[in-house]
Amino acid sequence: MGKDDLAKYPFLKEAGMYVKETHFGIDEFGRPEFNHILEKAKTRIEHEILSGNVFLELQKYDIDLFTFLISLIMIKCINIESITKKYCLLEAMRVESFLIDDLRHEKDVKKKKLLISKIFGELFDLKIVLDEFTPNLFKMRISDYLVRSTSFHEQEWKLINRSVNGGLVYLDVEETVRLIRNELSILIYNKIKAMEIVKFPDTINSYASSIKNKVVIPVNLQTKTSKYPPCINHAIDLLNKNENLPHSARFFLATYMLTCGKGSEEVIDLFKNAPDFNERITRYQVEHLSGQRGSLTKYSVPACSKLANENLCFYTHECKGIKNPLQFGRNKLQK
Amino acid sequence: MNIKPNNKNLHFLQKSFKEYYFKNTDILECPHNISQREFGFMNFESDMKRHISFDDMGQLNAYLLQNVPSDIYYSNSYYEFPTFPMNEKRWIGADLIFDIDLKDLASPCLMQHTYFICKECGIVSQKLIKLCDLCKSTKIHSIVIPCPICINILKKETKKLISFLTEDFGIDSKYIFIYFSGNTGFHITAIDQKYFTLDSKARSDLAGYLMGKNISLGSLGVRRNKLNLTVKIPQSGFSYGWRKRIINNLNLSGVSNDKLSIYIKKIGGYDEFKKEVENITKTIGVKIDPYVTMDIHRIFRMSGSINSKSGLSKVECKNLDTFDPFSDACLFQENENIDINVKTKLKLIFKQKKYHLDNSSATVPYPVAIYLVSKSLADVV
Repeated sequence: MGKDDLAKYPFLKEAGMYVKETHFGIDEFGRPEFNHILEKAKTRIEHEILSGNVFLELQKYDIDLFTFLISLIMIKCINIESITKKYCLLEAMRVESFLIDDLRHEKDVKKKKLLISKIFGELFDLKIVLDEFTPNLFKMRISDYLVRSTSFHEQEWKLINRSVNGGLVYLDVEETVRLIRNELSILIYNKIKAMEIVKFPDTINSYASSIKNKVVIPVNLQTKTSKYPPCINHAIDLLNKNENLPHSARFFLATYMLTCGKGSEEVIDLFKNAPDFNERITRYQVEHLSGQRGSLTKYSVPACSKLANENLCFYTHECKGIKNPLQFGRNKLQK
Repeated sequence: MNIKPNNKNLHFLQKSFKEYYFKNTDILECPHNISQREFGFMNFESDMKRHISFDDMGQLNAYLLQNVPSDIYYSNSYYEFPTFPMNEKRWIGADLIFDIDLKDLASPCLMQHTYFICKECGIVSQKLIKLCDLCKSTKIHSIVIPCPICINILKKETKKLISFLTEDFGIDSKYIFIYFSGNTGFHITAIDQKYFTLDSKARSDLAGYLMGKNISLGSLGVRRNKLNLTVKIPQSGFSYGWRKRIINNLNLSGVSNDKLSIYIKKIGGYDEFKKEVENITKTIGVKIDPYVTMDIHRIFRMSGSINSKSGLSKVECKNLDTFDPFSDACLFQENENIDINVKTKLKLIFKQKKYHLDNSSATVPYPVAIYLVSKSLADVV
């Protein structure tokens, strides 16, 4: 691995060793000559959190490497779960972007294999093999593929839509890298969580406060969940915990709320805590579901049986006899 | 059990089943890591007992003689604590299992040997009925006596599955075990560490793959943007798996972007092509019961045990081509004849001997009596 790679993949063992060898302690980042690194870390966080876009800039490897580390410390210092999760996801997407580029353009097969073994093998215990006949075609075990692909809801990720032979799935560069996005995000998240910092240097603290003031603090839904069916409560709980909801759960939550008479704005607000929240996309989708866009068809709330098939049903005795979540509580009211 | 047997039938079956397990202590196939499996038993009153475990076959045999169950099942899963409630069992992994049953296959002659029995009064009709002529009950149960044509259809489907498992999933045929279910289907178990820890969702995707469900034209490089058709053959080509099957079926092997595009336009465009591809996947896909494959907490009939719906045993088919369920899965001794009252006109080939039975009393060999009484098509005199 070259030193430039450390900036792109700063969580690798080699990057850790490099940082160790410099003998820099966290307190030293309070010195004015490191202001540019703190400034860059702030820019990187603000860019990702505020715009929801990946920060793709690369400078000098050592600066980028320290920027990454300082940004993690700042995120730790900000200490807001939704910000941490969003940042980790966007940093994972940053890595994804560099990795796709490197794998696609690296001509030296040995180097390519080394990169694959470092990222996929060492970090995630995932064996990827280069196809001997087609350039930039990768193979992985069906089981390794399924463990990851089943969290995606798009039809293209179904095994039937892949080239499969002899227990292996064939994937192109983008598909292979996309499969590990979630794991990359968790890796970075765990790094932040594992940091044991007793006292943050004042300068870092002040940068973190400044970022904290800028980024919008997500709305705590505090929804009176008791009136909703358990499936809806579960979805809201996940959003409150800044967890990502599968596509089917988002569809279900949005159609339910819209049918209950909530306005598009209110429904969009519900999703603000999702780590991958993008207002433009959410607005488009919610307006589409409410019949304001596209085919102008208002989508209906899926039936309980469909939700059960998609593992979105969290049946309790109060659900007895209902066929659609919209019927929840009606019996109780009638009694 | 098909319907609740009368006292005489019940006594006859219980005695026969007990004798079977007493005389054939080595007939049950010991599951791999028996102590990690959950066992379940059905009794003749159709009550199920689950969450039972045994350390060895000796313990199981003793249980069988004491309790004489009508059906024996064990989990395809392995657990740390198989006797605990489901969410406390601590799941370790599971074998891959598949169920191919006549009910899921379009057999042309199925209705010719399907019987309809009233669950209330036991009257049998050869015509499809929704209401019992005698007692007006709507609880009608259908019973099939599979014919050689149906058995061959089942075998063909099983072979299709085996080819998917070996070619696409890379499972060594040595570790694929084919069983006759004891009634109207085949059970297939594949033991492969690579698939051992897959969860229900992943198994569901495997089942979908085998059945040819959710094919997307995008996977063949065919997309529709608004009204324009775009064709770009995928990087991994059409050399493997479903892509290969579809392209070969369309006689388009070695096709280029242009040729595929021309072909699609020729047959009427994107929608027509989609229909054609879906027809192919429906035809080539294996007709398994997906719920069996995706369920990691299922208990599956034990090999060597009797299927109470037929009195035949679940047995391994070492040679699928020559396997005859009415000979190879009939493990009761033919040492005596039994007088029975047959409830309907029926034909049966049992151990290569043809039986033409009518709505009257008959004396038949012991295994035939077991079969017909289990099927609720005859009563013991």
